[in-house]
Amino acid sequence: MKCELCHKADAETVIRKKDAGEEQELFVCRACAHVASRGEAAAAPQQDASAPGPSETLASLPLMGMILDAAFEIVGRAVNLSELTCPVCGITRSEYRKSSRLGCPACYEAFAKELDTAVLEMHRSLQHVGKTPEKARAMWQRQQLENALNDAVREQRYEEAIALRDQIRRLGPPEGQQGGPA
Amino acid sequence: MILNLEAGMLSKRTRDVPADGIAMSCRVRLARNLAGERFPDWATERDRERVFVKVRDALHAEAPGFLVEPVAAYEEQEREVLCEAHLISKDLLERAAGGGVAYAADGSVCVMINEEDHMRIQGFASGLDMQAAWQAADALDTRLERHLDYAWTPRLGYLTACPSNVGTGLRASAMVHLLGLRLQGETEAVVRSLERMRLLVRGIGGEGSEAAGQIYQISNMDSLGMDEQAIVQRVSRICAEVVRQERNARIRLIQESPLVLVDCLARSLSVLQNARLLATSEALEFLSAMRLGASLGLFTRMKVAEVDKLILMMQPGHLQKVSGMVLNPEERDEMRAEYLSRKMTNVKLKC
Repeated sequence: MKCELCHKADAETVIRKKDAGEEQELFVCRACAHVASRGEAAAAPQQDASAPGPSETLASLPLMGMILDAAFEIVGRAVNLSELTCPVCGITRSEYRKSSRLGCPACYEAFAKELDTAVLEMHRSLQHVGKTPEKARAMWQRQQLENALNDAVREQRYEEAIALRDQIRRLGPPEGQQGGPA
Repeated sequence: MILNLEAGMLSKRTRDVPADGIAMSCRVRLARNLAGERFPDWATERDRERVFVKVRDALHAEAPGFLVEPVAAYEEQEREVLCEAHLISKDLLERAAGGGVAYAADGSVCVMINEEDHMRIQGFASGLDMQAAWQAADALDTRLERHLDYAWTPRLGYLTACPSNVGTGLRASAMVHLLGLRLQGETEAVVRSLERMRLLVRGIGGEGSEAAGQIYQISNMDSLGMDEQAIVQRVSRICAEVVRQERNARIRLIQESPLVLVDCLARSLSVLQNARLLATSEALEFLSAMRLGASLGLFTRMKVAEVDKLILMMQPGHLQKVSGMVLNPEERDEMRAEYLSRKMTNVKLKC
């Protein structure tokens, strides 16, 4: 990934920069980071509990760079990592708010809290009534059981896990095996 | 790609309009998306093309009579023609890679691919036969579901790019001609009451457009919390009431202000017969009056269905397609005036 300031050298570090009141993270080369640190305080990595610590952030830069590269390639826009982001498509809450369009079906889960409010306001309901696509319903049911099975295994609830596994087996092999976030 | 305007596809809906023609046509649209795929607005070209291929393959398997093509396969004028016939939207016109359209030979059902959602399945019918439109869209949707994995949850139903369509993904709309209410100064009250009933009222061109020619689209606002049949029946019932009000307005117009009505019709016919330049919006206003007169049987040699055909054929895309020429706006206005004047030559006001 190239430095987001000079666009020449490889990005090696991350800095925080205030732009029009909004704080942004920029992936920059050492030289630009040095220049920036003279003008502004160098960025401290995000502090929320789920975020990696400073050393982790730097250590995971190559991987993060690849993800960001992909994001740039995919949607041609900068990604602000400090915001609530859909784990599947990578769009942020502010991007969704700006365009009023979600990025993918998984955004309904990622932004569930505020979407529920919006949906309720729009439709005066939060419960679908009507057509049920059989394939999607079966896929959804399988997904729920698999999630429950993973939780049970992780939490060492083995008896429950066995019951869930048997339930999944009874459903038969997954059709098409396409899967999805929905 | 060659569009055959005379094949009946685009004019079928106008041929079957009921005699008084207040309800012009109706449409039921289902928004559908594929699980695990980005919605079109955030997708890459490659993503959209992959979705196009999946939908195309499903259509080939389940609807072999459909013509399925990328929008880019059509020439610019042909795209305009599809847009004017409401088979595709302006948004889809602007979509580059992956945008596609599929339609049945009789024009009763079509699918927009990679518009705002991966699929917009649309069923069409004449007048207020919304059940027919719903059944056409529903049947195709059910067949396509065998081949495609829809993004759906038991709680929110069909997941859509914009939360305003989530749930059933269904929008039932009717196109109605309300010139009688306009001439009686009652349109605004009707529109306000429709909005209070949580119905959307828009112009002929859909979202954000004005009601040129007093042609309105009325559709449901809510797509979640009510099943498809209930939504379709509700919109249909309310639109039938609007039609009744328009019919009453027309009767009152004849009884109470015949001179206002006849003056409006005579002026419109005169302009259409004699104008040398006519812009689309201007022509639509006069054709709207012709439509009212035709529905009341006040013109010789002019029926509602013929006016509807003229409304379609005088639009820029159709005009250029028929003439086989690319025209600038002034040339189009000249050709439109000449075309309409020719069509009105033998038309006379009966009173």
